[in-house]
Amino acid sequence: MSEINTNVNEEINVENIKKELSQLKNKKTSQLSLVWRRFKSNKLALVGFIFVTMIIFVAIFAPVLTPYEPFATNPSNRLMAPSRAHWLGTDAMGRDVLTRLFYGARIALQIGVLIILFEGLIGILMGVISGFFGGIIDSIVMRLVDILRSFPVIILAMAIAGIMGQGLYNVVIALGIVGWTTYARMVRSKILSIKEADYIEAGYSIGESTFSIITRYIIPNAIPTAIVMISIMMPTALIASATLSFLGLGVQPPTPSWGSMVSAGRDYLLQAPWISTSAGFFIMFTVLGFNFIGDGLRDALDPTTKH
Amino acid sequence: MSNRKKYWANKALRTIITAIGVTLIAFLILHLTPGDPARIMLGPYASEENIEAVRAKYNLDKPLHIQYLAWMSNLLKGDLGTSIRYNRSVNTLIKNRIGPTLILTLSGLVISVVLGVVMGILAALKRNSWLDYLTTVQAIFWISIPSFWLGILFLYIFGLKLRWVPIAGMVSFVSVILPALSLGLRQEAWFARPMRAEMLEVLNQEYIRAAKAKGLTYYVVVTKHALRNALIPIITMLALRLPWIIGGSVVVEVVFSWGGLGTLLVNSVKARDYPVVQAILLLISIAVVLANLFADVIYTWVDPRIRMEG
Repeated sequence: MSEINTNVNEEINVENIKKELSQLKNKKTSQLSLVWRRFKSNKLALVGFIFVTMIIFVAIFAPVLTPYEPFATNPSNRLMAPSRAHWLGTDAMGRDVLTRLFYGARIALQIGVLIILFEGLIGILMGVISGFFGGIIDSIVMRLVDILRSFPVIILAMAIAGIMGQGLYNVVIALGIVGWTTYARMVRSKILSIKEADYIEAGYSIGESTFSIITRYIIPNAIPTAIVMISIMMPTALIASATLSFLGLGVQPPTPSWGSMVSAGRDYLLQAPWISTSAGFFIMFTVLGFNFIGDGLRDALDPTTKH
Repeated sequence: MSNRKKYWANKALRTIITAIGVTLIAFLILHLTPGDPARIMLGPYASEENIEAVRAKYNLDKPLHIQYLAWMSNLLKGDLGTSIRYNRSVNTLIKNRIGPTLILTLSGLVISVVLGVVMGILAALKRNSWLDYLTTVQAIFWISIPSFWLGILFLYIFGLKLRWVPIAGMVSFVSVILPALSLGLRQEAWFARPMRAEMLEVLNQEYIRAAKAKGLTYYVVVTKHALRNALIPIITMLALRLPWIIGGSVVVEVVFSWGGLGTLLVNSVKARDYPVVQAILLLISIAVVLANLFADVIYTWVDPRIRMEG
């Protein structure tokens, strides 16, 4: 930077500015490695990383890890207490609880990722449009955000899932319809601050198009914000979808979803407390993992928040 | 127009737009279904006459905007419609159920705010101590536990095993403790962490140093000067968290068989009793819109430094 500033006599041409911009880009990558170093040194974040890796492992290798089938019922085995054969006991239909929890990890992660993709895409797009264009478009998008956020997420999602019918994709849509607003708000405010940055003006001054400004400068610079958003939204998505399943408005039994397992175990709380407690523990374990990661990421990307 | 007037005019206009938007969404939700709403509400075994009657009653045979205007004009007259399942006025249903919901929501709110504020203050005052660390970890811990599971754990431990409290319904004063804790503990984290950050920020301000320099005791500096200013942003946090607390109370009501709006809503969603669903959605969202406006008014009133901008 100082090199460029001292060469005042050098003719300022498009090539020079382009060079400066690419230098700034390089600075960005070194910043990323700095963020990674900070993240790694955070103990809680590392614990979270291990938790989430374990759940992903269990989800992928469920068929190898357990000798049982998640749907195989066995009436003579119902409500058996935890034993060597059934580590976490069996449920009211004689199915192995641990097996269903392992397969449940697949459902939970699948729904979580789909919700993040769905609401993230809509939200980031709306945020970029709103923040970049401003004016009347911004007002319309932001009023829509205000309106949707006046409804508690779970209540609006319940009503939507109830009307559209249950099922995995309807859960994703029902939760995403409100969820995108969080991304839109964050991305919009990030865009507003990026818009003021010098490199945007520099981009315009060398004649870049609006499209190229958005795709080459604004979106890459908004990505750290988006990553933090995702790590914050994943726990919300997991708990909200589990809540819908618990209420009987999400993924339907016999699909092994953790939320509906907590609900099913509730009827046998005294005889077989292991059903509800272990299913809830899996939800907590996974959400805790993502929350630890999110916390670490937030501190790593913005060390000023930690006093 | 003065800045102040402009600010409030803008705010009022936004609130009105949001309120109208909320009614539109509550109304349109019924039309998300691909089929005939009347047929879906009445179920597969309904007779043609019944379906026709419901269609006529809710103007379902008319164009969408006419339906909306008819629904709105009834709303403005204070008529929330008739429940299909109970065949009773939605107003009566809600009136009978709103008390328990208010008790539960307010108790949960008090638990979360009091616990959160106290923990946040202590964490800030004893910065980097084990107490500070505990505050951070417990906050992440509570927000990672789904309230329905926390409720079931409480029921199992305190209701079934220890038999300290009744396991369901609203029997006595102690009935509210477990549901309120299931609701409040999860929300507490949202007050503890901002409170800590705010308190640390305030303690670094010039006027705190000035107060200390004046020779005021630590206690007076903390309670009279720091606390008062650090509490202001909690008002906004309260309004922001309100939708989540109400949403949480619906789930907690189901766990504890609490006879409030939450159980009514869940049962109505399952029974496809849309007039009730629409009315409850509307009621809750309007409450949230008003709470936000209210928080803004209080905020500008207690903190005159707020800049009056749109």
